[in-house]
Amino acid sequence: MLKVAQPDRPDALTWVFLGLGLLLLPVGLYLALSAPPDVNQGYLVRIMYLHVPGAWLGYLAFFVTFLYSLLYLFRRDPRHDRVASSSAEIGLVFMGLALVTGMLWARPTWGVYWTWEPRLTTTAILFAVYVGYFLLRGAIEDPELRRKAAAAVGILGFINVPISYMSVKWWRSLHQTQSIDLTTGKIHMDPAMLQALLFNLLVFTLLYLGFVRFRSLLAALEARKEEA
Amino acid sequence: MLLRLQGISKRFGRDWVVRDLSFTLERGEVVALLGPNGSGKTTLLRLMAGLLKPTRGQVERAGRTLFLPNPPAFHRHLTAREHLLYDLAFHHQGKEPEEALDRFGLPGDLPLYAFSSGMKKRLALARLTLLFPDIWLLDEPETALDKGGRELLLATLAEARKKAGVVLATHDRTLAERVADRTLELGVA
Amino acid sequence: MKLPVEGWPEVSGQGRVGAVRRVVLLALRDLRLEVRDRAGLLSILAFFAVMLFIMALALGPEEEPLRRAAPGVLWVALAFGSTLLSTRAFALEVEEGTLDDLLLAPGGKEWIYFGKLLFQMLLLLPLAALALLMAAGLFYLPLERLFPLFLTLVLGVLGYASVATFYAGLLARLRGREVLLPLLLFSLVVPVVLASVRATTGLAEGLPVAEISDWWQLLLVFDVVYLTASALLFPVVMEG
Repeated sequence: MLKVAQPDRPDALTWVFLGLGLLLLPVGLYLALSAPPDVNQGYLVRIMYLHVPGAWLGYLAFFVTFLYSLLYLFRRDPRHDRVASSSAEIGLVFMGLALVTGMLWARPTWGVYWTWEPRLTTTAILFAVYVGYFLLRGAIEDPELRRKAAAAVGILGFINVPISYMSVKWWRSLHQTQSIDLTTGKIHMDPAMLQALLFNLLVFTLLYLGFVRFRSLLAALEARKEEA
Repeated sequence: MLLRLQGISKRFGRDWVVRDLSFTLERGEVVALLGPNGSGKTTLLRLMAGLLKPTRGQVERAGRTLFLPNPPAFHRHLTAREHLLYDLAFHHQGKEPEEALDRFGLPGDLPLYAFSSGMKKRLALARLTLLFPDIWLLDEPETALDKGGRELLLATLAEARKKAGVVLATHDRTLAERVADRTLELGVA
Repeated sequence: MKLPVEGWPEVSGQGRVGAVRRVVLLALRDLRLEVRDRAGLLSILAFFAVMLFIMALALGPEEEPLRRAAPGVLWVALAFGSTLLSTRAFALEVEEGTLDDLLLAPGGKEWIYFGKLLFQMLLLLPLAALALLMAAGLFYLPLERLFPLFLTLVLGVLGYASVATFYAGLLARLRGREVLLPLLLFSLVVPVVLASVRATTGLAEGLPVAEISDWWQLLLVFDVVYLTASALLFPVVMEG
């Protein structure tokens, strides 16, 4: 294996992502708060600027975990496993944000904290899967078995997403209760709103990239300490 | 060469059980692993078998491998004959176990829960002679054997040596001297 | 007592035993062990009986709520039963130290997965049928369309068992971690629960098969996807 320089500090790219993300965060906040209220939902719609990027990044993060889990199984390079688990960790945070904001949004809009809306339910399932991912990692002492087991869960968990989504969607459609669409479907998108949404999406993405790189570095440092 | 270990190290948690060990096994060799309790003999055998992966280093095997743990592992609700037949099938072999059962003095229709530990050891040896791997890894094969059993063990090892390679972990230095071509001492580091 | 040796492949000197054969033999061996050690079989049956009974007490005694709850209760019971059984399939090996022997057999380790899975299916399907009968009795679940109901049982139980076998094998080597199995398993088998319950409810309500078939398709997709994925990943997590 090539002898790569082992970094002790985050590299420039990581700082760029984190720095840019943090700097632009208040800008995003400003845009979100200055965007016009929705015709139907009023000021409440502003939760969307947190909820949607949170969900998007959560799913992206788990997709990255899925990819790197596959990569790890083929290449058996511990770096891939570190990226996979770091991404899952960050993903869990974003997913949690999406779930909480989703519930906070649902309450004043529809009067209930929880609804079996397909996207929300699938997100909750995925959240549980990745909590399981970390519990499993914590339960295995042997590092190589831990990586392999985690990779397996990362794969099995993600392929669950389309199947879970379809099953919940069909399950609900039989009941013909109101389809509570918390995202852009029922919201008329003013250009200013769209701009704010996309901007926040960019900010979250930058933060995600920065956090994953940073967390992967921490994981590498931890691994190095273990090897000593 | 049947088996090669290069720079093997194994750690459990914070303890290094095996440190930077290299080893080869050729066909026709019998190697004895010696060392006090807790020196890592069983771990090393399991690493050789591929049941454990090393923390560092490489293990290469060129042949079928079997591991005989101490005490031997059997399903107590199967009879000796059933056990052998199933094991043969799992190893893609369609032999008859009768001869082996006779030779090792084992009642084929007795369920394993009625076997003494000496009988179980003999059954394990019988199983090995039937499956006849290329690499034999034995963990303290001499324990629980009476005089007759010991003779069988020696005969089995002589047979194994002709066509395969054997590594046996043992406390019994007389046995080691008697059968082994060379020894590997493991110390408590 | 002379026990006959049944179901052996042709043994003739250099006879070879094929790949599928050893999967089947592993399943039959485990079945034989389960039958001889009667405690296991009876305890799972008792589990179903007790669970259904308690749920009936909790949700009854009116007929209507019981009938509506029946599919859900049945499939939750089967989910838990499947978890228990899959743990058993590997716990026995670990207890006796015989898992190593299976792992040292020649060739890839997928056969162990399929053998253990087949074993569970052979055990679970009759037990599931019995659970269905119990549900029919305690929960007033109508049993007119037995064949479609049984098909649903097969597809659903296969879904649970395919994932449960994988996780049970993985966790078997980690002592005392079987508590993780429900969490890991249930988060993945949500589609199986939803589809099976919906299909069973539909059948109980007399819906035409055409409407149920969507759920069967979903179950089939799940089964194929997870059977394949689990079989491929099983050898990876069972090595050293």
